[in-house]
Amino acid sequence: MSQEAVAEQSSNEDVKPRLLTPDWFKAKYQDLLSLLGSRAFQRQLMWAAGSILMAILVATVLMIVAGYNAFLAWIALIRSAIVRFDRTLLEATPLIFTGLSVGLAFKCGLFNIGPEGQLYVGSMLAAIVGYMIAMPIVIHPIVCILVAALAGFAWGFLPGLLKAYRGAHEVVVTMMMSYIAINLTSWLVRGPFKEPGQMVDQTPDILFSAELPKLFSAELNAGFLIAILVVFVVDLFINKTVIGFEMRAVGLNQDAAEYSGINAKRNMALALGIAGMLAGVGGAIEIMGWLHRFESGWSKGYGWDGITVAVLGNNNPWGILFGAILFGALRTGGRAMQLRGVAPAEVISVVQGLVVLFIAAPRIIEWLYNRFADEARRAKKSPVEAAPYFASIAVSLVGSVMGLAAITSVMGEALLLVLSVVGGILGLYAFVELLARDARGLKALLLESAMWFALAVGGFLMGYPEFLATFAALGVIGVVIAVAAWRMTKMDKESNLGGEN
Amino acid sequence: MADPISVLVLLTLQMSTPLVLTALGGMFSERSGIVNIGLEGMMLIGAFTAVAVTHVARNPWIGLLAAVIGGGMLAAVHAVICVKFKGNHIVSGAGLILIGAGLTEFGSQAIWGHKGYSDPLPTTIVLKPIEIPALEGIPIVGYALSRLSPVIYIMFIMVALCWYVMYKTPFGLRIRAAGEDPSTLDAAGVNVEDIRMIGTILSGCFAGLGGAYLSIGYNTAFGSGMTAGRGFISLAALIFGNWTPIGCFLAGTFFGLLMGVRIMIEGLAEFQWLDPYSEFVAMIPYVFVIIGLAGIRRSIPPKAVGEAYEKEKRQ
Repeated sequence: MSQEAVAEQSSNEDVKPRLLTPDWFKAKYQDLLSLLGSRAFQRQLMWAAGSILMAILVATVLMIVAGYNAFLAWIALIRSAIVRFDRTLLEATPLIFTGLSVGLAFKCGLFNIGPEGQLYVGSMLAAIVGYMIAMPIVIHPIVCILVAALAGFAWGFLPGLLKAYRGAHEVVVTMMMSYIAINLTSWLVRGPFKEPGQMVDQTPDILFSAELPKLFSAELNAGFLIAILVVFVVDLFINKTVIGFEMRAVGLNQDAAEYSGINAKRNMALALGIAGMLAGVGGAIEIMGWLHRFESGWSKGYGWDGITVAVLGNNNPWGILFGAILFGALRTGGRAMQLRGVAPAEVISVVQGLVVLFIAAPRIIEWLYNRFADEARRAKKSPVEAAPYFASIAVSLVGSVMGLAAITSVMGEALLLVLSVVGGILGLYAFVELLARDARGLKALLLESAMWFALAVGGFLMGYPEFLATFAALGVIGVVIAVAAWRMTKMDKESNLGGEN
Repeated sequence: MADPISVLVLLTLQMSTPLVLTALGGMFSERSGIVNIGLEGMMLIGAFTAVAVTHVARNPWIGLLAAVIGGGMLAAVHAVICVKFKGNHIVSGAGLILIGAGLTEFGSQAIWGHKGYSDPLPTTIVLKPIEIPALEGIPIVGYALSRLSPVIYIMFIMVALCWYVMYKTPFGLRIRAAGEDPSTLDAAGVNVEDIRMIGTILSGCFAGLGGAYLSIGYNTAFGSGMTAGRGFISLAALIFGNWTPIGCFLAGTFFGLLMGVRIMIEGLAEFQWLDPYSEFVAMIPYVFVIIGLAGIRRSIPPKAVGEAYEKEKRQ
């Protein structure tokens, strides 16, 4: 870099506005606008939104197949997530910490799959310090957090060291550490630190001095504010400090980072340590703000959800904040779904898994997006050609869902069971192939319709008269649409599944 | 009651069977170049499918077959994401674990109506051990050999078969080539993507079989999270065994031995005094996995593992 460039850069830094002045806000606002306008950000947003949408779609199909009223379930979920907004933020608080934990390790190219264990050791130590040691009111929570941070750090640092210096796979080791932590804390709370005279394994309540104050409601507490503060700090740490820069460099390319004089091993160990620390603090916050004592098995998968949150937020601290609030809402809504008996709350874990899957392969969403854009263009050009094509997609999917939903009612009859399973799977296959505008999809749709005819007749003969009307109609519609699409729509000869890339 | 050593031999075989099977599966996937940390999810799906299908079909063998198919289908999702859409292997694997856990809990709620566990199957329709009283007389191993579950025999056959397929058949060569040097394989006129798809789906089939053994071979019911990290331990066994069939078998048996020791200590009267510390006993396998991974000389993974293969991309 030339002399002038250096001078210019330093002078640029001189005009950088001071923190929290009006100029600073203006600059931040400009940054935000340019971020929102940037292509990369919009793509990222499209991936995230598309993944969530697709996951919800798949989960809806799943619920219908299993015989739940998906519409009512989603209504219950959304309603409760909005009405109980304080609960949503409460659920989001530990997710922010575990999400940051996974995200920070990801920035350094490491996959921390064990925030659950780090959460447990942190919360255990915070609870112990919280109830055993008397301290003044503001200092007590701070000490609890520090102790929990230390414990979490240790729990992440060990896998980090093993990864950096012994090449031990961090995914396996953090997972094993997680199981060790869960067993260890479960022993501690069953033995030495158990509240005497209690049936359940739990520590005594923490002292009042260690509790975090409530905010506005009975559930939301100051822990959420601390979480936002930590998001801010982690953002600064990753993007504005030397060590954060080194970690990112190691994450992008370890060899290149080492050539440029960065100690990659030290950074890797440290990154996992700090990741563990964040999760540990999250555990302490949950104890001090909400639970007020350690109970065996209190975390209902907050550590696991941290992975989803980090992946959804693209490992960006602010993205993680939004991801955590979204999943806090899903958890709150899932509970409401379960309580109202419309659907089991486990639907939410399926949604989470699907979101992670779709985000793992952004090209799926891009492919779908391109396909839809392409189809919209074609439909505009010649609506007559497009109509049977879209109808065939819809019929294959609806048929498959109905066929799979029939499974539960034909459990006893092996023939009907096989017919409905095969028909349902054929329908899904036809749906995917038709989405790809592949002629094989139409053949599959014809076969699927044949299954429905067989199911209609078989059902009628075996004592399910209601099948006759439904599945015969489904079969007729399927055949008509398939033939119409065959005649009128130009299909690609070769599958273009993923081929555009 | 047999002497402790004989029981330990049996427990070792029982505990190592799911580990070895899953590790063999992981070998097919990783040797072909696809990282598969979703084995845990595939095992769960296998365990659940086995119980659910046996519950309906009243025949454990159909359940076993369904578990293989179920695990394979979940792996097919992984294969499509990693191979066709060139997604991130590790993230996709994590998603599979979440889906495996979520689907099985959802399914047990939908089928049996309670959260996260199934009704126990009647003992008449679970996989019964094959009793060979003639072998009972052999010292040490006789007790175990005379009452092995059919899946354990399948496991032994699979180890031999995998070794044969991996090293003695063109298909094995292609799998290994897809993981070491995909562009050469491509130049030889073999479709790398197809090989990787097959390798990944095979891994799910094996993991499903391993999970099925847990639910209808060793137990008679499904419980959520019943795999308890076995997918990850299998992954460790795979690394420990240097991505070879025999290595997977030995490492899986070693970790199986540790799990057997754990069950032994919990069950034996001589170790009653350890009861207050049962959590520490439960940690034994996990601790040894970490020590094992940290202690071994660096094992060498397949060269191109974890990289999407782009045709005609400059290296």
